[in-house]
Amino acid sequence: MAVIIEVLGWGGKSRHHYRVDGPSISIGRGYQNDVVLSDSHISANHLRLDVVEGGWQLTDLDSLNGVEIIKNPSINSVSADSTSSEIVLADGAEIKIGRTRLRIIADSHPVDAAKELHRLEKDVGQLNRFSIWLPLLLLVLIVDITALYANSFVEWQWKNALSSILFTQVFLLMLALFWGAVGRFLREEANFLGHYNLILLAALVYSASDWFFGVIGYNLSAEFLIVAVAPLLNLMLVAVLLAANFALATSMLARQRWITSVGFVLLLLIVSVANQMQQWGEFSPYPEYFSALELPALQIGGGESVDEFILSLDDLFTEADQLAVKK
Amino acid sequence: MAIDKTAGRALKFLLGLLLCWHSIGFSQNENARTLFADNKAGILQIRIIDVTSGSKSAIGSGFVVNNQGLIATNYHVIQLAASKPEQYRIEYLTAADKTGDLQLLDVDVVNDLALVSAADLGAQPLPLAVAEPPIGVAVFALGNPLDLGLTVVPGTYNGINQTSYHPRVHFTGSLNSGMSGGPTLSETGEVIGVNVSTAGNQVSFLVPVTALQKLIAEYQGRAAAVGDMSQRIGQQLVDDQQEKFTRMLALDWATMPLGQAQVVDELKPFVTCWGGSNSSSEKAQFLSADRTCRSEDNTYLRGKFNSGIIEYQFFWLEADKLNALQFYAYYQRLFADFVPGNKAEEKDVGDFNCDDQFVTADSVENPRKTKAIFCARAYKDYPQLYDVLFLQGTVDDSRAAFLSHFTLAGVSQKNAQAFARKFMGVAKWQ
Repeated sequence: MAVIIEVLGWGGKSRHHYRVDGPSISIGRGYQNDVVLSDSHISANHLRLDVVEGGWQLTDLDSLNGVEIIKNPSINSVSADSTSSEIVLADGAEIKIGRTRLRIIADSHPVDAAKELHRLEKDVGQLNRFSIWLPLLLLVLIVDITALYANSFVEWQWKNALSSILFTQVFLLMLALFWGAVGRFLREEANFLGHYNLILLAALVYSASDWFFGVIGYNLSAEFLIVAVAPLLNLMLVAVLLAANFALATSMLARQRWITSVGFVLLLLIVSVANQMQQWGEFSPYPEYFSALELPALQIGGGESVDEFILSLDDLFTEADQLAVKK
Repeated sequence: MAIDKTAGRALKFLLGLLLCWHSIGFSQNENARTLFADNKAGILQIRIIDVTSGSKSAIGSGFVVNNQGLIATNYHVIQLAASKPEQYRIEYLTAADKTGDLQLLDVDVVNDLALVSAADLGAQPLPLAVAEPPIGVAVFALGNPLDLGLTVVPGTYNGINQTSYHPRVHFTGSLNSGMSGGPTLSETGEVIGVNVSTAGNQVSFLVPVTALQKLIAEYQGRAAAVGDMSQRIGQQLVDDQQEKFTRMLALDWATMPLGQAQVVDELKPFVTCWGGSNSSSEKAQFLSADRTCRSEDNTYLRGKFNSGIIEYQFFWLEADKLNALQFYAYYQRLFADFVPGNKAEEKDVGDFNCDDQFVTADSVENPRKTKAIFCARAYKDYPQLYDVLFLQGTVDDSRAAFLSHFTLAGVSQKNAQAFARKFMGVAKWQ
């Protein structure tokens, strides 16, 4: 029976492993050992493992820094008065020598079932392409510049527009770089263009929904569509984007991805609501009215008559009375 | 020689002028001295004392108007004591350093007047003028500017101000804070007005003595101090706006053009109008012309609460160099930027309640589609009164727009709605 010695990295992930056959395994910094580790806090001959019934007997070879047992699945074998030289490590035990964490596993140790690749990951080859990125980026730039131009009523100056465009684009780029770095670290696969394309796509969907809700909200005189519904949908868009980024950059299961993304968005929502709560019920000497205006081309339907308008004000005065009741 | 002669004549003329000037100054000084000496006892400093701290919170002036110890002053001088009688009391201080308590009897908030009385003052009352003096005569304002002691300020009577709904005497002279509530006397020593406000640079205003006579008559008819001051003030505000709007709504509103629209012209004597445009600006990308009308009246109610203001405003906009999207971006910015014309705080009014609707006038051919906003906030101490803000902008032309707006402060619901109806019928673009 062979034993596997795994060197663990950040988060308990296996960095690399050694497979050793035979009844006794020696571990240390010296090159004569079966497992040679370069950690300078490990002694030349640090410890020995001997195959025994139900695991491996650990013997500390008078090492300078000793052996720390982090996890040993067979608790029974660790009796209260035992010294480290008498400990029997079971399959899956974890120890720490110097600054290095090791896991000792029998080669018969079961492994997790394979995770299904996310659809996105299967298509990642397609998403991670320059030929998708370039048109997307151009489209985002065109939307950005058009929006700026349409909202500018002073003399158009490229130098003013440029800084605003640069700011937005650099922000999106940084986001893509961040996810690329996360992927590179967790999965050794950056998928940078894939992330960038997802982010650009989300930016386009955001612009489109913003415009759409602006027009619909204006035509229906329904300010809540603009101040409540659209922001909530945009938060959902963020959750979807995050879930997709997680799928590309991490090995999380679908459920974990969604819980993390929706959790993050909920946190955002709670923070922003808490922020606004400060102003709830505060007196304002200024009226807050729905001031949106849209081009005639974007308008549906007509209006009511002056008489109907004047008549409808009765309720408004009644409500104003209620707002002025002394507390 | 001819030059010398001319020079000599000019010098003589100048000397004459100087002497003449001097003699006017001399006679004014003489009058001022007499008036000061004769009326010193009847003019008081009015002090509002904070009961808790025992110190004065506000000062003003006042004067004795009859033998029963009735004293006139401004409402804004004694406002603290009228609003919170449990926290403030009113005291007088005579030129002879005698002090005593004053009792608040009645107010006329619209004309900024108040009547108080002292039990044991025993000062000679100042006679109230029966007739309006001719324009241009010298008059003398008396009071306690900046707590410096009784002072006399000579000036000129310039008649009743024609641009305000509530009559005010235009007095050319310097009124300073602390002189509020003091009398302005004619050369014969009769009270022609009560010092009330200043616009700076020797332009000052007095409440005409007729308003004071009316208040005294009302008080004497009732022969008792007002019990519920807040109710009294509320009633005065309601009555005043009722009379004002009845008169204004009965008028045939004249119009004038602004761009392709027609707007309401100056409604005299309720408002005065101003106008402007950006046509002289070379950098302007669009055309904007406006007309703003505003009432001079401003009823003081509390420190940061005033009322009685009428304001209406029109904008004519053309896209010019802008495309339709840009034009609407500006239009929306302007549309979002309207605020009421008067100040108020949380203790005075509720929050504005607003509504927005698309309105299409039904009585005309090819009516324009507009977006209309109406906001109202109710007064907390004075029931049935509101501040309202109205805004209406055309939304059916992508390269031009007409925007009309008004705010009314301290108006009843019925009058606000009637005003809105008339306003929407008159100010339009079709």
